[in-house]
Amino acid sequence: MNAVTAKPMTERLEPYIAIIGPMVMILAILLFMGVAEPARYFRATNLNLILLDAALYMPMAMAMTFVITQRGIDLSIGSIAALSSILMAFLIKQYGFSVYIAVPIAIMLGALMGLINGLIITRFNVPDLIGTLAMDLVYRGFALVIAKGLVLARFPDFLTEIGRGQIPGFIPIPVVIGIATMIAGYILLTRSYFGRYTIAIGSNPEAAELTGISVKRHKVYAYVLCGAAAALAGVMLTGKLNAIQATSAPYFNLHVIAAVVVGGTSLFGGRASMLGSFAGVLLLSMMINALVTLRIEFFWQSVASGVVIVSSVALYTWMQKKDRDGAGGLLAGLQTPDGQKMLRFSALLIGLLIGLLAIGGIFAGDPNPSG
Amino acid sequence: MADTPLVQMRGITKRFGGVTALQNVDLNAYAGEVLAIVGDNGAGKSTLIKVLTGVYQPTEGEMYLDGNRIEFSNHAEAIEAGIDAVYQTLALADHLDPAANMFLGNELTKSVLGFEILDNKRMRSETERVLMERLGVKLKSLDAPTESLSGGQRQAVAIARAVYSEGLRVLVMDEPTAALGPQETARTLKLIQTLKAQGLAVILISHSLDDVFEVSDRVHVQRRGQCVGVVRTADSSTQEVLGLIVGAEEAA
Repeated sequence: MNAVTAKPMTERLEPYIAIIGPMVMILAILLFMGVAEPARYFRATNLNLILLDAALYMPMAMAMTFVITQRGIDLSIGSIAALSSILMAFLIKQYGFSVYIAVPIAIMLGALMGLINGLIITRFNVPDLIGTLAMDLVYRGFALVIAKGLVLARFPDFLTEIGRGQIPGFIPIPVVIGIATMIAGYILLTRSYFGRYTIAIGSNPEAAELTGISVKRHKVYAYVLCGAAAALAGVMLTGKLNAIQATSAPYFNLHVIAAVVVGGTSLFGGRASMLGSFAGVLLLSMMINALVTLRIEFFWQSVASGVVIVSSVALYTWMQKKDRDGAGGLLAGLQTPDGQKMLRFSALLIGLLIGLLAIGGIFAGDPNPSG
Repeated sequence: MADTPLVQMRGITKRFGGVTALQNVDLNAYAGEVLAIVGDNGAGKSTLIKVLTGVYQPTEGEMYLDGNRIEFSNHAEAIEAGIDAVYQTLALADHLDPAANMFLGNELTKSVLGFEILDNKRMRSETERVLMERLGVKLKSLDAPTESLSGGQRQAVAIARAVYSEGLRVLVMDEPTAALGPQETARTLKLIQTLKAQGLAVILISHSLDDVFEVSDRVHVQRRGQCVGVVRTADSSTQEVLGLIVGAEEAA
């Protein structure tokens, strides 16, 4: 009886799985913080901080949703953000450009860098992972060459308004920008040729090609969007800190990809969720803020982000597997001959490590360095 | 059956480098008829229809539609002329809903505040209409992604995609029943009859002689890149066609 009602239930839930995952985790954080640190976590100023942090990632998460849905990946957004805002800072500080012109120039530069990424991937057939990883080095290198370790600071008010301005009695301006980009992304995904073809390309590239869709051109569009969004984030970051340097924004790549993937957009293509990406961004910012509120060392953030990514991807893969009963769970998998071999191999590896640690401990001498 | 063939392929030869995939093949297809193409693997069935649908260009030979010479440099030009194909792999994007698939690459739009946006509602109602009117198929839900449909329903969506264009005159179906169960196969064969009754020339490629004998009017047999015979289904038997496919008569 149960099984009969359960199946249509999961089928009806399928479209919402994307949003359920991050929502459950957000709820878990809220509950936990409600018990652990309610006074400091739920203060209005702290909620504002969370939103301010999340806003920075919203444009990039929106654009990355398109790239990932097309079975691509962009690992260069951190460097694009840094390089385009360094160039903008130089235009303002050194060449006296008006900030109203410099900001659009920065976004155009980001779009241009995205275009270069897209062309490298589609015209020279460099795999996206390698192509954007290499271009990440190139853009970061240019930023270092141009800025030479300088920190450029103190910008006109317009820029700081973009980065940390507050609409009185309402939410910060960057949050408005971030949410606006997410809404625009949602419309783009569901109501435009680009969004429709993005899903088609990720779902079945051959079919998309066969129906006359220019697969390469739409891939380039996604990277251009990603570049422009990264530059916008760079501008927002510059305004938020009122300073920029070549080494800024080092964690953008994985943070944004994590937010998108946690939000249910499939790395295998075709499955996109803009609402999920929004929830994913919020979740990561809430988690990081919670760690700070709990006074846990900054370096644990990296551990927490990694654990969240792995567990959410594993969860989605498990939920999407149709014949769940056939697998028989983790324990049954260990009882197969292959599972046994893997178990012995793991035991051997851990055993060796323990052995080496023991030998090292026994023969340990004076830890003072020689010389 | 009309006297002049709707589609004529004359002396089609297709070489890939040193390999001759098709050798001087003739093919005639009439409006309101189902022509089956059968043959062993590598006999040139797929190459032949890929030439007809503009995916490949023939090395030698000519093609006529309604007596007019046709030459295609790509598949889109063939569709433009009224020749479309439903492929074995169906060419559907599983994550999109049936309406999005049906209009993929050819979306309906509306203008909102000067912006051209996709008209999902109209595409959905059009899909429902075409499926009902042309194919007599009603899907339970048009909102669910295509991957949740059964094989036969997916087949219907792929066919609806082809018949939506008003100018369609020739529909090629490559192994439409290969991945289907008995019930779904029966439904797809019925769909083929429906299309035939609407005056289309249907070219059916199949490995299943049962299906071929159930729906086709004539059978074109390919072997090793050549046409080894065209028989009227009503006057023939499975044994005769099988003999042609494997070349048994020649060997005997």
